[in-house]
Amino acid sequence: MDELLADFVAETREMLEASEGEIIAWEANPSDRARLDTIFRFVHTVKGNCGFFDFPRLASLSHAAEDALADCRAGRRSADQALVSAVLAVIDRIVQMVDAIEAGEEFPAGGDENLIVALEPETQMVEAPDLEPQTSHPHPADDQASSKPGQTEEVESQSSQRSQKQRKPDHPAAVQRSIRLPVDLLDRVMGGVSDMVLARNDLAHRLRQAGTQPTIDGPFERLTSILSDVRDAVTRMRMQRIETLFSGLPRLVRDLSNELGKQVMVDLEGGDVEMDREMIETIRDPLTHIIRNAIDHGIEKPSDRIADGKREIGLLSIAARQSGNTIAIVVSDDGNGLAEDKIVQKALSTKLIDAQQHENMSREEILQLIFEPGFSTASAVSNISGRGVGLDVVRDNLERVGGSIKVSSTPGIGTLFTLQMPLTLSIIPGLTVESQGQRFGIPQSYLEEIVHASSQTLDFKRLGDTSLVAFRGQRIPCLNLNEVLDLPPDKTDSEPALGQKTMVILRMASGEQFCLAVDGIAHHGDLVIKPLAPAIMKCGLYAGSSLLDDGQPILLLDVANIAKRYDFVSDARARIQKTELFDQKKVAKASERIMLFTDWQGRRCAVRLELVHRIETVASSVVTYTAGIARAVIDGVILPLIGLPDGELRTSKLRLLRLSDGMSELLLAVKHVDDTAELTSAPKPVEGDPLVHAITLVGDNPALLIDGHELFSRHGEPPAPCAKPTCQLPDNEWARAILEPLIVSAGYEIATQDDCDVAIVFADDLSAESEQYSADERRIIRLRNEPEVKSENPENAFPTIYRYDRDGLIQALKHASRGGGER
Amino acid sequence: MKDLLLVAHIGGRQCAFDAIDVQSVIELDEVTPVPGTFDHIAGIAALRSQTLTVICCRKALGIDTRKLSLDHRAVVVTVRGHSYALKVDKIEDITTGVISPETVLGGFGDEWSRVATGMIETTLGPSLLLDLPQLIEAISDDVRAVA
Repeated sequence: MDELLADFVAETREMLEASEGEIIAWEANPSDRARLDTIFRFVHTVKGNCGFFDFPRLASLSHAAEDALADCRAGRRSADQALVSAVLAVIDRIVQMVDAIEAGEEFPAGGDENLIVALEPETQMVEAPDLEPQTSHPHPADDQASSKPGQTEEVESQSSQRSQKQRKPDHPAAVQRSIRLPVDLLDRVMGGVSDMVLARNDLAHRLRQAGTQPTIDGPFERLTSILSDVRDAVTRMRMQRIETLFSGLPRLVRDLSNELGKQVMVDLEGGDVEMDREMIETIRDPLTHIIRNAIDHGIEKPSDRIADGKREIGLLSIAARQSGNTIAIVVSDDGNGLAEDKIVQKALSTKLIDAQQHENMSREEILQLIFEPGFSTASAVSNISGRGVGLDVVRDNLERVGGSIKVSSTPGIGTLFTLQMPLTLSIIPGLTVESQGQRFGIPQSYLEEIVHASSQTLDFKRLGDTSLVAFRGQRIPCLNLNEVLDLPPDKTDSEPALGQKTMVILRMASGEQFCLAVDGIAHHGDLVIKPLAPAIMKCGLYAGSSLLDDGQPILLLDVANIAKRYDFVSDARARIQKTELFDQKKVAKASERIMLFTDWQGRRCAVRLELVHRIETVASSVVTYTAGIARAVIDGVILPLIGLPDGELRTSKLRLLRLSDGMSELLLAVKHVDDTAELTSAPKPVEGDPLVHAITLVGDNPALLIDGHELFSRHGEPPAPCAKPTCQLPDNEWARAILEPLIVSAGYEIATQDDCDVAIVFADDLSAESEQYSADERRIIRLRNEPEVKSENPENAFPTIYRYDRDGLIQALKHASRGGGER
Repeated sequence: MKDLLLVAHIGGRQCAFDAIDVQSVIELDEVTPVPGTFDHIAGIAALRSQTLTVICCRKALGIDTRKLSLDHRAVVVTVRGHSYALKVDKIEDITTGVISPETVLGGFGDEWSRVATGMIETTLGPSLLLDLPQLIEAISDDVRAVA
């Protein structure tokens, strides 16, 4: 029975959540039939469900509300403000009772009669009860339940099916079937899946060491793909649309503004942003608090607003945005803004700051004082925002989950609160670097470029205690990661000079760049970011932790904070950065870089690094052959592929160099990528292989230099023309299914409107259309259904083409498009 | 007070953790150091897919660790949603408290008073009942910060 009761509570809540918005919408327009129906269904279902349990008060409340609403539905009564308020009051009471039921408490008696009386129209006090005569009659489901006490569960399921049937067809926001689970269980499942991924990675590693074993590799691949599916699904399990948080806000705003005698319109945006369920719960209170504040202190009374020349209805807008691995929620009102002088006064009087500090503070900084503990500017503590919870609590709550809050405000125009929250379970692409044998993660979003410092592209200078590198015409500061983290120097081998390390060039969101010198790059891939303990967060170097494939934890560097610590984000920095470097050309000329690789013929080859767009690793299955030319699909683009070995591919994975000349791209299959190097010795031209134009010496070994010009002239495919001619088709199935692909492959785009370059029509349907196109006959192609020209139709002077005459059609299209091109 | 307690030795003194706070006792194998943070944070370790912050209790209390032995096991506790592994000299046993914790005249010394709720008599003798949030988070300002 307890389980049934829990279901009842849950279902009532769920329905209430879904109809919360509807109620407000109904109030705005009481004659809206669809809204009325939704609310009617809610009270009706509550009433029906009450029949199963012994809740006479709940039943009589919902019954009374149902009666009143039924009258409205039947047109016997019109929904007015008083009725709306009365119905809302009843719904609130139902919620309170449901809460009490869940907590197993006795709900305080009394008060119900007033609510029920309030529902009755003043003029029809006497007749109203008679109109709905079934007061003593229980709901039909009630009969069933009492007659078959042993089958309560079955009845329950029947009835919920029925109520679902009732709800579904015209319910505006169809509720998906769902079950509720404790978050702990979800966490366990998620943890389990993560462990499984780690175990799989470990196994993969061992399998690679053991060599290819066809009997194991197949099932293993399958396991891998299943696991990645499961992982996706599990990640989504925890995510919830922020809509669930937003849906309750209109009601909150309505109640508050009514209470305070203000008029507020709420504008919600970004409800489809997804975030962690728990995170949504964490921000619920802070957000509510800020909204309370905005309505209580921000938005003025209608009379004051009119006096200020504003619309009397205040606007409160709440928008959610996801950017990278943070979510920003912006709450803005168009009220009178924050009063800087009042804040200062208060801060001075509570000794939060002293006069001297005040002199050095900017307006921005002063505004942020409202988040300090013990701060409240409202002269009179109202029952809305003066509940002992200050904005300091809001800030604390947000900071606890790694978020932040700031405020900006323009006097007389409004106030804007920005809440920033991380997506806790975010998976971000990242780079793993090595420093003194320990690994650290860097979020990919900061990454600008990786440069091996041994190359001469980096002009490396020490000025004072600062190291600077010249990178693309700018001198940018360089940090040694070992020094940043204060890692003890390795005892066994002396640390290489800074100039010999791998340079990771990072770019901040504000555009400043700096360079981090690391010992090496270890890995590149997705990192699952987990929060760190506050004690570790305090040192400001790390943003989170992640687990490597082998289960070893690594720390994620907080790039923004490190940059701030070294003052890389000040205005002064930006100025230095902007000074262009002198003879950048000379530096670039001095070092032409090449990528060394081994091709499928086993030759050591090199290609100029500028040509290499990216190194791709793909499954062999993406390669397709047409007329002897291999192509591969990468990122949804079909690119020509050369350099494959003859005969069957025996490997499951292919390494490809994605080459680009700026216009077209092509793929070069390689056996393995070796290294990058300087092109030091002069290339010596060779003949024989057309694709190899020279041989050069790299280190002590020769390498064949690939001729980029020849490569692209032979194999590069020109990019698709930007503006294709458009073609209009007859509006029928045959045209869409059979004609369209042919037209598209002939290089046309299907026109959706009348303005087109070429039109194809059936000669038989030619009527009014013919006049439309008669201006330029060359642009119309007429199709006929019969292979032979109908002889009995001599007045039809226009040439027609049989609809399956492919060559004729293409000829006509070419002819027509030339005509069309002259437009 | 009949609650279960986990008794361990920190810096040669007998201490007790409330067993409700203790998730498990694990063997710590690999700990990744966290450079640039407080001295008492020994690093991070993985417990299944969870990240644990490894805390050296002796260092948190400013005790010289050189002459002390170290248990290869660690106590896993959860404080405010974060999991920690506590390194101690020796994990003794699980026992019950005999009487409720009480303070002792004159305290236990500055460092110990900061982290201790009071003295508790257990079946294994008197122990200091430790306040976990204090031990882990509230580090006094004269911290031995490296950064």
